[in-house]
Amino acid sequence: MNWPDFLLRLRALVYRNRVERDLEEELTFHLDMQARKNVHAGMSQAEAANQARIEFGGVTQVSEQCRDARGIGLLETVFQDIRFALRGFRRSPVFVLTVVGTIALGLGLDTALFTVFNATYLRPIGVREPGALYEAYWINRVGGSSGFSHSEYREFVASNPAFSEAFAYMDVEGRMNGRAMLGDLVSGEYFRVLGIGAALGRTLAPEDCSAPGRQPVVVLSYRAWRNQFLSDPDIVGRKVLLRGYPFTVVGVASPGFTGLGSRPAEFWAPVTMSARFDAVQNRPDTAEPRSLSIVGRLRTEFSTRQAQSALTSWMQLRTAANPDSAKAMQALLISRAARKPLRLANVLAFSSILAAFSLVLLIGCANVANMLLARSLARQREIAIRLSLGATRRRVVRQVLTESLLLALPAAAAGFAVSEAAVRLSLRVLIATIPPGVAGLVATLPPMHSDLRVFAFTLAVALASAIVFGMAPAIHTTRVDFMQAAKGDYTHGGRPSRLRGTLVAGQVTVCVLLLVTAAILLRGADRIHRLDATLSTRNTIQIVAREKSHEAVVGRLAAEPSVEMLAAAAHAPVERKSMIPVRSADGSELIRMAANQVSPEYFALFEIPLLRGRAFTAAEGLSAAPVAIVSQAAAQRLWPNREALGRSLRLAPDPGNDASLAPRQVTVVGIARDEISRWIGSGEDTSLVYLPTHPRAAGAELFVSVPGDPETARRKIDAALATVDPDAVQQIQKLQVREWVDEDAYFSFRVAFWTSSAIGVLALVLTLSGIYGVISYLVSQRTKEIGIRMALGASTRAVTNLVLRQSMKLAGIGALSGAALAAGLSKLLASILVVIDTFDVAAYIGGVAIVLAACAAAAWLPSRRASRIDPLTTLRYD
Amino acid sequence: MSGQSRIDLLQGTLDLLVLRTLQNEKLHGWAISERIQQISQEVLRVNQGSLYPALHRLEHQGWIKAEWGVSELGRRARFYTLTADGRKQLEIESQTWETLSAAIGRVLRMA
Repeated sequence: MNWPDFLLRLRALVYRNRVERDLEEELTFHLDMQARKNVHAGMSQAEAANQARIEFGGVTQVSEQCRDARGIGLLETVFQDIRFALRGFRRSPVFVLTVVGTIALGLGLDTALFTVFNATYLRPIGVREPGALYEAYWINRVGGSSGFSHSEYREFVASNPAFSEAFAYMDVEGRMNGRAMLGDLVSGEYFRVLGIGAALGRTLAPEDCSAPGRQPVVVLSYRAWRNQFLSDPDIVGRKVLLRGYPFTVVGVASPGFTGLGSRPAEFWAPVTMSARFDAVQNRPDTAEPRSLSIVGRLRTEFSTRQAQSALTSWMQLRTAANPDSAKAMQALLISRAARKPLRLANVLAFSSILAAFSLVLLIGCANVANMLLARSLARQREIAIRLSLGATRRRVVRQVLTESLLLALPAAAAGFAVSEAAVRLSLRVLIATIPPGVAGLVATLPPMHSDLRVFAFTLAVALASAIVFGMAPAIHTTRVDFMQAAKGDYTHGGRPSRLRGTLVAGQVTVCVLLLVTAAILLRGADRIHRLDATLSTRNTIQIVAREKSHEAVVGRLAAEPSVEMLAAAAHAPVERKSMIPVRSADGSELIRMAANQVSPEYFALFEIPLLRGRAFTAAEGLSAAPVAIVSQAAAQRLWPNREALGRSLRLAPDPGNDASLAPRQVTVVGIARDEISRWIGSGEDTSLVYLPTHPRAAGAELFVSVPGDPETARRKIDAALATVDPDAVQQIQKLQVREWVDEDAYFSFRVAFWTSSAIGVLALVLTLSGIYGVISYLVSQRTKEIGIRMALGASTRAVTNLVLRQSMKLAGIGALSGAALAAGLSKLLASILVVIDTFDVAAYIGGVAIVLAACAAAAWLPSRRASRIDPLTTLRYD
Repeated sequence: MSGQSRIDLLQGTLDLLVLRTLQNEKLHGWAISERIQQISQEVLRVNQGSLYPALHRLEHQGWIKAEWGVSELGRRARFYTLTADGRKQLEIESQTWETLSAAIGRVLRMA
């Protein structure tokens, strides 16, 4: 079939009447012309017309031959199938609506998930030609990845032929006018390469990066300008305090631009101002820090592979003299076209979540397959006749599949709408319920528009599901026994009830899997909620000081009247801690335990009672004396049922671990009450070893207790510390252990639980409607048999049981396999989160019971109908 | 009609003649059959019943295309023109025909 042929055929199909009229007119014209010629030759009108007709031959035959020239091709049969299917749909609108609704629901879930994936990993970010942007990094000989130094960046720009332009940037954080903000230090080419303009004032230019430390200028993000500066129209030229230094605002970036990464930048300053942002230049080693990321625009004539190998040899040459830890092994490029680079791990994670979501779609497909099966069995007679008359099986299968595809198209459109609504709703719910501790997450979400990619995804999945739900009925109904058909018996030759049973059992499996998983997650979340965090943290403020001003900060805090007590610790309570292998001096078994270095005041400040023994002394803290305090749980693990006090403990930290935890032997001087020792997600581990330290020790976090309102005190202390050094404080906040437990740690569980139960309930609803449909159909098919049974004396109850038994058998099989799958899945989850209990009996029983009860309810109605069958009517029917 | 004997066109040769008649001008079906008869000095007779299916077939093959126009007598008529593909096809078929008729001619003379 060539192009003109296709067009002509299409025209003939679409404008059928007009094409016919045209043909008729053309032939009539010919006859008239011939007749006219005949008249000229001397014939009478009538004779001339007659003669013309004779010469021409049969007009009908000729027009038939003209149509035959067209032939009947694929296009014509497809059109026939479509017309035929549409006629069928018009007769049963409820069927069509049910199918479209069912598929649209499942499709909508999948599409919603894909919308998120697309926005994060696939959609190009709103900068100039993002497709050609690549970020470079390199891996050293010991496997660590690394960025570039200033001089390396300059050399890169000057010497790399594969990139037409490039810029360097680094992430920084800093308090601007007292508020913590995220920003990027960028080279002067940044805004030009990305093609980002200014909404107000100007962006940064190469001149801003001409000399180190000379241009204290800053560009604000549109969002920061609006939120932090209330859209002040006179912002340009004003000075702001950034990390305690005055910077001049030169402009506001265009709306919507928040930098390249997933972490939205709120300000941009010249990369030459980096000395203001880190303490790196104070370090004794004079080597240039490699803190820059380089992003370049790859020339079209270079492949990433070529650019990578060029980059690798350049970096290898440049670092050849270095020790292994700074010697380049390989340089790599990663695309910065989308919000986050697309890596295999992301795709795998997405696929596994998509698989879970797709279960709903799969159940929907099974339902639709069942409906189509029932429908096509009703059409068995028609199909058998068509096959007997010589239609090929392929032709009939194609016709049934056309029907499925026609159902899938409106389902795709509806699914698209469902997805839009679902995304919007879940965003709204997320914003409404997110705890303030993690609310920053919302700002990092990319805008969730759907685009052509999302639509293509929906369409593809819709067509795939059409094939899934259309194939079984298509193949099944065309398996006709001609001998039976010839005798007028058009009932199925195969075993559709087995196929149907498998579909139902599969649906139940999925429901149980989803609901049991939801229940396990819920109980895990509940367990976190019940964790006893008895620490007193009501009036505690946590301060993290910068290394350079740590001493001064401690001095100032000690003198501050609003500070009641000052304690220090390497880690806040509940925070993740270093795990070190320890063993009792008289034992041989190494046990990994959390360790924390705390100052003597720590126990008093957090009101952790020492059950036996004593706290550290100030002298022990200063000298890091070889003493330790252990938690009850730790004592029990190390010296089961023996007095731990006075015993020796060997610390055997892994080499390369925290330098302050040197291998040594320490004496236990006290036993402390159990506290949650580590991150909550890893469970109720409370064994903990405390080692002495003091507030002036480098890297210690500081905790102060204050009288009265902690927020007022926090501000007061913040202001006081700013007099020491405006950039002394990296972080100052109220310590909120209980809130943290309740919200931050609990939140992810809550999200997982709600998602899992929402799709579980959806799956259940679909399954129930499926079971109801199937059992009803089976009952109507077995009407004759049931009638005979009743005539032979079967009671109503026996008939009800007969039907119920049949459906419960399917449900039972499904429940068993679902529970088994759930065990596998939760085992997987438990490997990530200790708090999950794989064999949470209550969760299994609950999930299975709900599903079985629902199945029984769904089967009960048809079974009642079966019991009301009148034996006389059914017997007379045959 | 003249008493000269007329030859019915062979299958396949009709396509060639139709393409050739359309080489320089656009014509409607009746004019095509007239032109063939006229130029062949009434020797070749176009079976009018097979002309139209042939035209439709050629159209589907994309060698000619049809459009409605006004005939010399002011009536609506379907005119056919040669397409670029048709021109190529005409060249191929003419050459084949030349080869064929030359070969047959040689056989008739020499055998």
